[in-house]
Amino acid sequence: MKENDYKKQLFANNCFHILKIMRIILFLIFLSTSTVFPNVFSQNNIFSFNFSNNTVKSILLEIENESDYAFLFADDLTKEMDQKVSTTVESSTINYVLDMVFRSTNLSYQIIDRQILITRKSKNTTLSSGLPSNTQQRTTIRGKIMDNKGEPLPGATVYIKAKPTLGVTTDLNGEFTFQVPDLNQLLVISFIGMETQIVNLKPNVLFYNVKLNIISTELTEIVATGYFQRKKDNFTGTTLTVSGEELKKINPGNIFQSIEAFDPSFKITTNNLLGSNPNSLPNINIRGVASVPTGGSGEVLRRDNLSATVNMPTYILDGYEVGVEKIFDLDLNRVASITLLKDAAATAIYGSRASNGVLVITTIEPEEGKLRVGYNFELNLNVPDLSSYKVLNASQKLEYERLAGLYDYIGASSQNELDELYYQKMYNVVSGVDTYWLSQPVENAYGFKHSLYLDGGSQNIRYGINLQYQSAPGVMRGSGRDRYGIGAELSYNLSKKILFKNVLSVTKVDATESPYGSFSDYVRMNPYYPMTDEKGNLIRKIDSWTDRSGTGGSLNTEVVLNPLYNGTLSSFNKSNYLEVNDAFSAEWNITDQLRVRGLISLNQKKSENDNFLSPLSNDYYFYSSADLAKRGRYFYQSTTESTVDGNITMTYSKGIHDHFINMALGTNIRENTYNSKWLTAIGFTNDRFSNIGFANGYQENTAPGSSSNIERLFGSFFSLNYSFKNKYLLDLSLRADGSSKFGTDNKVATFWAAGIGWNMHNEDFAKSWEAISMLKLKANTGLTGSVSFLPYMSNTLYDYYKTSWYSTGVGAIVNQYGNESLKWQRTRNYDIGLDLGLLKDRLYFTGRYYYKLTKDMLTDITLPPSTGFSYYKENLGDMKNVGYEIGTKLNVFKNKDWSVMLNGNFIHNSNKLVKISNSLKELNNKADEAQTNDDYKGVPLLRYNEGQSLNTIYAIRSLGIDPENGKEIFIKKDGTLTNKWDVKDIVPICDATPTLEGYFGGSVYYKGFMINCSLYTRFGGYEYNQTLVDRVENADPRYNVDERVLNDRWKQPGDVALYKDIADLGTTYVSDRFIEKDNTLEIRSIYLSYDFGKDILEKLHMRNLRTAITLNNLWRSSSIAIERGIDYPFARSFTLSFQANF
Amino acid sequence: MILLLTASCNDWLDVQPDATVSEKDLFNTEEGFYEALNGIYTRCAQPDLYGGEFTVGFPEVMAQNYSNSIYDYTRYTKTSIFDFTDPDFKSRKDNAWKAAYSSITNCNLILKNIDNKKNIFNTGIYEIVKGEALALRAYIHFDILRFFAYSYATGKTQSAIPYVNTYSNKVTPLSTVDETITKILADLNEAKTLLVKTDPIVLPTYVVGYPNDEDATEDANSNLFLQNRRHRLNYYAVCGALARVYLYKEDYSNALSNALEVINANKFPWTDPSALLEPDTKLKDRIMYNELIFGWYAQSQKTLLLNRFGSTETGQYIGYDPARSLYEVASVGAEDYRFKAWFTQVTNQEGPCYEIQKYMREDKDAENLHYLMMPGLRLSEMYYIAAESSYPTNSAKAWDFLNTVRFHRGIGTPLNQNSATDFISELLKEYAKETYAEGQIFYNYKRLNKNITSQTNVIYPASPAIYIVPLPDAEIEFSNR
Repeated sequence: MKENDYKKQLFANNCFHILKIMRIILFLIFLSTSTVFPNVFSQNNIFSFNFSNNTVKSILLEIENESDYAFLFADDLTKEMDQKVSTTVESSTINYVLDMVFRSTNLSYQIIDRQILITRKSKNTTLSSGLPSNTQQRTTIRGKIMDNKGEPLPGATVYIKAKPTLGVTTDLNGEFTFQVPDLNQLLVISFIGMETQIVNLKPNVLFYNVKLNIISTELTEIVATGYFQRKKDNFTGTTLTVSGEELKKINPGNIFQSIEAFDPSFKITTNNLLGSNPNSLPNINIRGVASVPTGGSGEVLRRDNLSATVNMPTYILDGYEVGVEKIFDLDLNRVASITLLKDAAATAIYGSRASNGVLVITTIEPEEGKLRVGYNFELNLNVPDLSSYKVLNASQKLEYERLAGLYDYIGASSQNELDELYYQKMYNVVSGVDTYWLSQPVENAYGFKHSLYLDGGSQNIRYGINLQYQSAPGVMRGSGRDRYGIGAELSYNLSKKILFKNVLSVTKVDATESPYGSFSDYVRMNPYYPMTDEKGNLIRKIDSWTDRSGTGGSLNTEVVLNPLYNGTLSSFNKSNYLEVNDAFSAEWNITDQLRVRGLISLNQKKSENDNFLSPLSNDYYFYSSADLAKRGRYFYQSTTESTVDGNITMTYSKGIHDHFINMALGTNIRENTYNSKWLTAIGFTNDRFSNIGFANGYQENTAPGSSSNIERLFGSFFSLNYSFKNKYLLDLSLRADGSSKFGTDNKVATFWAAGIGWNMHNEDFAKSWEAISMLKLKANTGLTGSVSFLPYMSNTLYDYYKTSWYSTGVGAIVNQYGNESLKWQRTRNYDIGLDLGLLKDRLYFTGRYYYKLTKDMLTDITLPPSTGFSYYKENLGDMKNVGYEIGTKLNVFKNKDWSVMLNGNFIHNSNKLVKISNSLKELNNKADEAQTNDDYKGVPLLRYNEGQSLNTIYAIRSLGIDPENGKEIFIKKDGTLTNKWDVKDIVPICDATPTLEGYFGGSVYYKGFMINCSLYTRFGGYEYNQTLVDRVENADPRYNVDERVLNDRWKQPGDVALYKDIADLGTTYVSDRFIEKDNTLEIRSIYLSYDFGKDILEKLHMRNLRTAITLNNLWRSSSIAIERGIDYPFARSFTLSFQANF
Repeated sequence: MILLLTASCNDWLDVQPDATVSEKDLFNTEEGFYEALNGIYTRCAQPDLYGGEFTVGFPEVMAQNYSNSIYDYTRYTKTSIFDFTDPDFKSRKDNAWKAAYSSITNCNLILKNIDNKKNIFNTGIYEIVKGEALALRAYIHFDILRFFAYSYATGKTQSAIPYVNTYSNKVTPLSTVDETITKILADLNEAKTLLVKTDPIVLPTYVVGYPNDEDATEDANSNLFLQNRRHRLNYYAVCGALARVYLYKEDYSNALSNALEVINANKFPWTDPSALLEPDTKLKDRIMYNELIFGWYAQSQKTLLLNRFGSTETGQYIGYDPARSLYEVASVGAEDYRFKAWFTQVTNQEGPCYEIQKYMREDKDAENLHYLMMPGLRLSEMYYIAAESSYPTNSAKAWDFLNTVRFHRGIGTPLNQNSATDFISELLKEYAKETYAEGQIFYNYKRLNKNITSQTNVIYPASPAIYIVPLPDAEIEFSNR
């Protein structure tokens, strides 16, 4: 209310007293403080009212009272002001209202921002008329410096051009107060990375809003660390900031793939099994893998299964930590920007969570002003990409079966019977049956997305509401992910000193897996099998094969069932979650330099999984009638996860002459509670009754299960950033963290980072440089930690025997040795970098080199069983990641209508196990054992050896196929040759790591049209071609196989063939024959957009309108022909989007 | 300031899980100690220990008590010919070793915590819990010793097994056979002193009997934990175990005194032959339940035991001739109740043979006369120990002890030959009959360093080749001893 009183008084005094003295019109900036929305006005300044015979003055007063407009007029207008008018307006703009009010007067008006200047119609009152007779020696002017997005720029320099020593810097709100000697001066406003602007002081203007333009995107980025912000220019950490708009240009449906295109060190592990399943969460690591798997029993791993979950970066959304699924389901339209923090100097404030890098995401905040409406529509088409599959057609397949000897008499059936079988199949082939099974479970999937965003408000209150709905069906029929979201943000700015903000968001996701099962089931189906009978009904049992592979050589019949049949049933596998998040923050600007900010976020996520397998499913085809009541299965799981995350940060920034200091002190507390329960029921009567209530009972020998844990984290940090003359930079960070995950002896650990930088282009000697517009060198080092492990590992834990009680009561038994001295896994980081801008930053280049040594790696230590345990957790083992990153950007051409840009980002990361624990060595023995069993016979398993990388491929050296007999020749460890495969001869062959991988592309802009292209490449690495083993050499001739079986396998003596004897049905084990060079080029994204011009927008009353098409994963070429998407195929995706802002 | 804040948060950071329970929380209450102790018994009654391998498993196979089908569905054929490199045998005995030491670790955890928590116990409970934990530790170690190490008679100074009596992740060095036995005896004797004070079984009011027996008081105690003392290592069980260990150590006087303590307590009545011969299978006593001084409650192993013995096609059985010769059916054993109660003649792919019914159960547990138990210590064994221990000093008494058992089993002909060799031979015959499928006879052969004769009359001479089972590879590889 005080504000309102002030304004009224101002109105009165200004109009009738001060102006009398000044006799001129002053442009004063009024604080607009309308905190209530009046009945006569709607909040977006659309007016409706009815006045009859009121004075102009009273009408204006009323408008001023109820809106955020202020009127200014000279005192000699008193007469006109007292004129009485009558008018009625409905839903009209201020212009219309004033036109109506002044229609019968000789007054005219001019709207300047929120001030309305009232003058006489005939009088020539220009802005420059009537210079003031300035009696004061010094005049105080005020102003606000902002970037071109309207964000305030704290620390900008403001000085008098004629007298550079006289100057001030802006405060945290980008505002300044400056006592100038007189108003006939030129004001120079500068800020690093912004174009310096010169403002001509105007005698009658005391408040200046100045927007500075960005020189180049890279330079002016603000690094949002999640706790506070730093100007990238005087920060020595390695970071990457990308706006949401830019991300959308790469892949509107996948934020992770978009980030990877800007920085390939943010690496998504390709999952060849899950392909483009819309429900598979990505595995991500930044700058290499820093942890090795620990998994209790220490399971043997396929190389492609090396879980990145322990190497996942930390995700910070608007200041609080979230899980990867939250980001996965986040609407990209909501993202203002992402910041990737990669090295110690950037991440050390996250202490124990920093080792794997931090991804900071900020969402769009409401802007003040009239109600704005943003609407985004996307139509998405996913097309299955089956191009990597090259299977045999019906006649080829039958020919292969013949060559493989399936119809040669070996005792299973008589030759007559075999011939009959062969000719039955031949009949199918000849009669034209050639089913392309691969296309059966897939479809072109259409999805769409609506996002609506409303925002607006005054300087005091701002609001934003967002709504979104997205359907993202996958290419396997029936699979998909539907996302619903609603969010509301309200911020209240109390007297500019205190700001409250609350963001509430609700997300719901429904995910469905395809009932059609694994894609591989379709790939193996023989093309000569018809899908349906003559009547068009699906055939369930298609074929059966008989051989003598049973116990003791008894007859064994293998039935071939139609996998499509499962898809016709009511089986489902659905999961959904509902997540509610509320984040409340308060900010107090104690002084211009000192600010305190607190944030508390509450998050609750409830998820459910319902998985029903119909009793009619193929899985139960072989159930005997005795087990009739056991058919059908329902798995239900319910999980609740709650998180409280709070932090308080105090920031201080001050520039004194050449020194500029930024400091931050903060503390952070987090608690995460996870609780999950599940059960499995069996015995369903028929396909229709899919409710769990129809189940007959629990699954045999199972009981309801549950899992629950609590994780707590408490940390405090201090961060200092100092720059001298913008030339010499220093960063220091320190964090102490305590976590419930670690042993009682080591609950708290400290982490730190230090960085230095040199902006050479700001040196005096650099002024003579012509080509080099920017040159910055920086280096930093630090110690960071990682805790992506299960909690309670430091506790000795007891489990209960729930199902088998002893006669004297329930028993509890220890299940884990709690190592109380468990420490944090720590990574020592070194990072050096160079930023170079040439030819006025038209060519921009960055280079980084890093060295990460992870010490005290948390691994399992194998114990002799007499200790009572098989292993325990210990900090033992070191791993090294060394790499470099190169980024370059070239502005080829730029003028008003045209711009052409090229860019490229490449990385190389090499990984080395420096020291490993005995349990990892033990895993090698297990791998040797597993290597000979059926599941892993042809799979190069992950092995651990000091000096080798986690990406090393282990196999037996091979000379290839002997043309004499079609057998493979192996090289033993001692160098001798043999035909006999022995697991002991497995040696490290090569490192799969590519020499270089990354993205390159470019964009062209012409008068509103834009095309952006992003290509991915990797080369110089190796890959083990699993397809050659599984689908060529170990192919089961009874099922469909890769076409190379027929074309490239050895058939007769003298054949120089790549693959062994076609009639050899023996097992092929892992050998280096299948390791191929992996040089790949992919078109990941093509983006085309058109921004409609101003004239059209005005007609449509729009602020902007854009339409765009994005093509993702369009084309791929690789030196290695491997089947991709084993359980779920990959997809190409096309997105058409419209974006409109009103 | 930072450090101060974080330090004060240490308690807050000390999170205890709720689906499982931490050591600290478990040992905060008396009930927690009950659960920890019950847990060890439950653990021991699993198939990898006394619920399978250590009772009906490899000692019986190695004692040549089973016949093997040529298809070897049970994968015990290699074990029966003492092929210790067979992967099935290796994984079984490695798992048994692991399970045994895991149980021992649980004993050590109780013993580590119990003395600090003495004040939380009701009267008498502390002694029982501590006594049983000590006894269990010794009992399990003794079986590991008997299986993996030299016998006392053949190699008492040989290095044997680690005697683990602390809770730690540190490797315990190997003890010799003699040292191990000394430690076992120390634990058992300490247990005996603790249990004698408060074990309810010592009281005259504790009457042994079948669960539905009205005179029995085994489940009369209001505290479930104090019921069915014979399902846990009670005072007499500790005496019995001591007798067994002293005998192994050839300390006959201590063996005798401990055996006699059990015998003279008159706690355990001989089984009425009619219960063994009962035609109504629901009223049949298949294991001479009341004579058990100690047995493992193994109700949850019902299915596994059924799989093992329920089919002579795929499970374990005994051939027609071997069974009849074992029980001397053609001569003194014609009326042996045990043979009649435990074996049913059937015909499988290899001809006539006997199905082993010792552990057979009715479908519903409540329909059985007794619980499903894996025998640990029997009254008859006390007589055998007493017999063997007194033979050097009083052979007539020794024959008396042996004849008493024979008499209760339906062998009316008393024995009193004068040769010591005959005595041992007759004693072992009785051991073999009495403890069939209970895992004891093998250790008696080993203790006395006897040759083992297979069912096809192959003689395996007594030697380390059949009596010394190698320690698990993981034990050797990761101990750096």
